Amino acid sequence: MYGWCGQRLRVDLSNGTITKEPLSYEYRRKWIGGRGMNSEVIYREVLPHLDPFDPVARVCFGVGPISGTAAPASGRVTVSCKSPLTGGFGDSNMGGHWGAELKYAGYDQIIIQGKARKPVYLWIDDDKVEIRDASHLWGKFPREADAMIKQELGDEDIHIVVIGPAGEHLVRFASTFNDVYRAAGRTGHGAVLGSKNLKAIAVRGSGTVKIARPKEFFDICNRLRQRFKTDPMRKFLYEIGSLSLINVANHDGWLSVNNFKQGAHPEAWRMSGEEHSKTVLKHREGCFACPICCGRFTEIKEGKYAGEYGGGPEYEHSVPTGPRVGVFDPNAIWHNMILTNNYGMDGIETGGVIATAMEWYEKGLITSKDTGGLELEWGNQEVVEKLITMIALREGFGDVLADGASRAADRLGLGDEGQKYTIATRGMTLPGDDPRGLGFAYGVGFAIGTRGGCDHLRCLASLELSGFMYPGLNTKILGDERPVKPVTTVGKGYCCFYEENQKAMVDCLNVCCFTTHWSYAVLTADQVEYFNAVTGMDITEEEFMEIGERIVNLERAYWARMLSGKREDTIPERFQKEPMPKTVEGQTNIGAVFPVERILPGYYKYRDYDPETGFPSERRLKMLGLEYVAKDLEPLRQKYNTEAEKKKKKYYY
Amino acid sequence: MTGQVRDVNYDPLKGKEAEKTMYEKKVLIFNQEKCTGCRSCMMGCSLFHDGECGKVLSRVAVVRNEALGESFVVGCDLCSEAPCAAVCPTGACSIDRVMGIPRINPDRCIGCKECAMACPFGAINISSKTGKAFKCDLCDGRPEGPVCADWCPSGAITYAQPVLAFKAKRREKLVERLKATKAGEEA
Repeated sequence: MYGWCGQRLRVDLSNGTITKEPLSYEYRRKWIGGRGMNSEVIYREVLPHLDPFDPVARVCFGVGPISGTAAPASGRVTVSCKSPLTGGFGDSNMGGHWGAELKYAGYDQIIIQGKARKPVYLWIDDDKVEIRDASHLWGKFPREADAMIKQELGDEDIHIVVIGPAGEHLVRFASTFNDVYRAAGRTGHGAVLGSKNLKAIAVRGSGTVKIARPKEFFDICNRLRQRFKTDPMRKFLYEIGSLSLINVANHDGWLSVNNFKQGAHPEAWRMSGEEHSKTVLKHREGCFACPICCGRFTEIKEGKYAGEYGGGPEYEHSVPTGPRVGVFDPNAIWHNMILTNNYGMDGIETGGVIATAMEWYEKGLITSKDTGGLELEWGNQEVVEKLITMIALREGFGDVLADGASRAADRLGLGDEGQKYTIATRGMTLPGDDPRGLGFAYGVGFAIGTRGGCDHLRCLASLELSGFMYPGLNTKILGDERPVKPVTTVGKGYCCFYEENQKAMVDCLNVCCFTTHWSYAVLTADQVEYFNAVTGMDITEEEFMEIGERIVNLERAYWARMLSGKREDTIPERFQKEPMPKTVEGQTNIGAVFPVERILPGYYKYRDYDPETGFPSERRLKMLGLEYVAKDLEPLRQKYNTEAEKKKKKYYY
Repeated sequence: MTGQVRDVNYDPLKGKEAEKTMYEKKVLIFNQEKCTGCRSCMMGCSLFHDGECGKVLSRVAVVRNEALGESFVVGCDLCSEAPCAAVCPTGACSIDRVMGIPRINPDRCIGCKECAMACPFGAINISSKTGKAFKCDLCDGRPEGPVCADWCPSGAITYAQPVLAFKAKRREKLVERLKATKAGEEA
């Protein structure tokens, strides 16, 4: 078999059974791998109203047919589950070398189900799979657990997925880590793994990935790698990492400052990638087979936090626990990053809930009585630091915030007034990009994304962001040069539709979106080409994009089964009603608002979603080979209309 | 070249070529400080030589310590007095007069692994299928140079004449010093 390994591993922790299931040609052709296969399993096996922490719930780790090969940046892993944060479909994606190692061990996917009686970890050594005791690892930071497992198994070259203390304490946005610092951050599967008492998955593989047409594949890879040498975006990402965006964001006014109240700040340059490279950068890091190498390794050299070290930072990780809570001291930001990594939780959500609580405090919705004496003022680093630890260990006020911003508002009884300040859709807070400046297609992505609604990685409409660096690219892809301008409504509907399908395919192949979206060196045609060369199939570009559309529709249907549809397709009022204030000289988006309602109908039309309910239409589902999904949704269409009237607002599921 | 090295692949027709000194031959130069640990080199190597992708097939190796963020690339340094060739009992591993590098003839290799043990860098790999040793052959004269150096994104592996590399390195030190003094003067 070429490309795929052709089998998946199912581990039932309740009774310790381990089964290997073969994957048929039709199945692989229909779902490809990674996110596609994971979504299919979650849709079929995790019923919509199941509690995410129920032992029956599944967590899937999926890799694609391209994983572990010479294709650029082919080492990613998709982790999927029913999200404890949003209550809906949730998946997340991580780099590192674990995905490739899993492929060499001979598996395309791992499905974890059941619940172990005591803490355990999984040891996969090619064909041998073993469930081992992890009592001594419980409560350890990912860094410590990783070292202890390596020592125990006597091999420093194995790769390990591990959760931190936050996952063990069922913090609803706990992450999964591999290679210590590469995190699948969002949607909280770390907590689901914690609820199953699974601390880690260690993998060693000695196999290879077979290639159907090696000569052709080598030529494609060679061509792409040569292209990266002169790629304009790659240069930035290698030299200064994703923090190169800070100065851009500050100029264009889409940095999230004080919970999105402002879009820029005169102090923001201090945490920019340029400054980081000059001061605390120790090393540049690369995930598996990556031609970009945007990873950083930071060592704080002076001040209060001197001597601390860790992987990172990334733009999306540093902004929420920095500018979003009003902290601009770079060393404090790196410290917060190291802290969230150590506890094993999502930096975006952590910053998001703290920023939300700060705004509640500012507006007088909560007082220091509720917070246990903490003065939640903007930029109070001492409190931020303390809260991160309290959230991770569910202590005091941290216990409330550990349920995520939307649930915390309900637990504190703040009602709709409180929900207004949770800058979130479908129960997940937005990352550090303000759609009023970053771009309208990105913003629509926040509204319609299928993993809890609000993420930049669902509809990665980078044509708006880096499209200008590649003249003629928009015309080539969208047939129109106008959508390259971020703050315009022209052509954004199709832009979203295209980018969402394309991103779904990138996650199925499990290559990194920085090679295909930010830096447009690997276009759809190239992806089809290397997919065919590796697997020996002969699919066309249209078929390729149709698979992407199938996956988006399936995930959308997962939400629809929980009666979530058009009602949730919106973004917080702040972006729609509050014009962007001016905070720095030369800011380009002063006074901008984001008219999401004007773009959504166009997007719906391309997707063929029902304009009343927002559910995928029966016609389109059947066309995509999802008859069984159409059948599931049939009785719900009517129900949604009545239910929606009865209960207008729902912030999470 | 010393008498120690068994020269089984000697071809008198290429005699003139063989006279080129080791000094002038291009070699792989590893700069560990720049290695990001991405393993692009390993993937390129295994795909180019075997038509499959796998860490176990690669002639270069990347050693990583994830917790400390350190990576280290190991490959054949193309020794002139190669220990691998010196210890080979069958003459399978010997200095190739054409390329001027130690190479392993798989037909003669008996899989004793002596060369792998003798190599001071750990640059020789043992095939999991045949048990025989295999090592870097500089991609056998690929016009663009060895794949690992060609694909390395950070410049940790370069393919160059060592003499030029040494010169560049010396020059670098001087430039650094000049910069330091100039900056000092300005300050």
